[in-house]
Amino acid sequence: PRTAAHTGELYCSLPNPRNVHFESINMKNVLHWSAPEGTGEGVLYKVKYSVYGIGKWIRKPECRNINRTWCDLSNETADYEEQYYASVKAFLNGMCSDWMETARFNPLTDTKLDPPMVNLSSTEKSISIILTAPEKWKRSPDGESVSLLQVYPGLQYNVSVLNKKTKKRWFFSISNNTLVVPWLEPGTAYCVSAQIHVTTPLIHSGFSKEYCIATLKDKTA
Amino acid sequence: RISMSVTEIRSGFTAIKANIQARDPIRTLSILSHPQSLHKVKSSDRCCIIHNLFNFYMDKVFKHCQTEDSYINRKISSIANSFLSIKRKLEQCHNQNKCLCGQESTEKFKQILANYEGLNITSAAIKSLGELDILLDWMEKSR
Repeated sequence: PRTAAHTGELYCSLPNPRNVHFESINMKNVLHWSAPEGTGEGVLYKVKYSVYGIGKWIRKPECRNINRTWCDLSNETADYEEQYYASVKAFLNGMCSDWMETARFNPLTDTKLDPPMVNLSSTEKSISIILTAPEKWKRSPDGESVSLLQVYPGLQYNVSVLNKKTKKRWFFSISNNTLVVPWLEPGTAYCVSAQIHVTTPLIHSGFSKEYCIATLKDKTA
Repeated sequence: RISMSVTEIRSGFTAIKANIQARDPIRTLSILSHPQSLHKVKSSDRCCIIHNLFNFYMDKVFKHCQTEDSYINRKISSIANSFLSIKRKLEQCHNQNKCLCGQESTEKFKQILANYEGLNITSAAIKSLGELDILLDWMEKSR
């Protein structure tokens, strides 16, 4: 490969990495890409990223000369008040590709959210539902926990409650994280599933799996 | 009424975000967020900054964002209409003197204009349009 005199970069004729994009869940922001077309084994990659509006591209040392096709940039993109670009270059047998960039990545709007945790308790005629929003990705397990509720002040929950006997289902939309469903039948199983819904920016999680609980039997019966 | 318009702006922008941002090749300059982030603006200056920015978008951005794509152009004009309805609402606040401009917000807005004037009009307008989510994120965060 010949070197471009002014930039010191190699002239690059290797096909480019494809579909370079961020995949983000609860603001765990991982860069993904596909290998260049027709290159098979042995391709290595390096990764760089930049904060939009600031000039510098910053190399990611942990993702230098890697053969996998992903790179965790959560740490580098943790400030969700900023927006980012990332870029990947491929190398094989002394040849290289161009740098291939992502679209502009906005952690606040471009992340996906996990469903909330659902905790249930019951009495004879009611069930109490406590929902817990997932935490924002954090640098280390003992790092400070930030609930997504703090990130999205407009966060709400959609809750589905199913009477397993009659198959009757109710839907609730609540802003706080607790819901008591009254006037239920004693000794009956109810199943609950919940979803996070943020109005602006418009983001919603999938529904959680169903959690079931039975109301207590009617002691007087 | 204002929050409905903001939601309309947000969904309109989401539909054209990738297209508009792809038309802005300049990574090293931001109109709204550098050198000083909107998120550093004091709450007392919020109303003034929002008022100025809505005028900025109406006067200097939307009218310079014509593209060859009619779908994109329609989305831009619907965003502009939503801006207009919010701007009218903000005029009332401004006229009733509830929207005071302190020195910091005046400086901040000067910086935004300087960033804008550092580019040719079309590039500056497209870049500003592509940064609408920065404005919306800031407005919604500190509602």
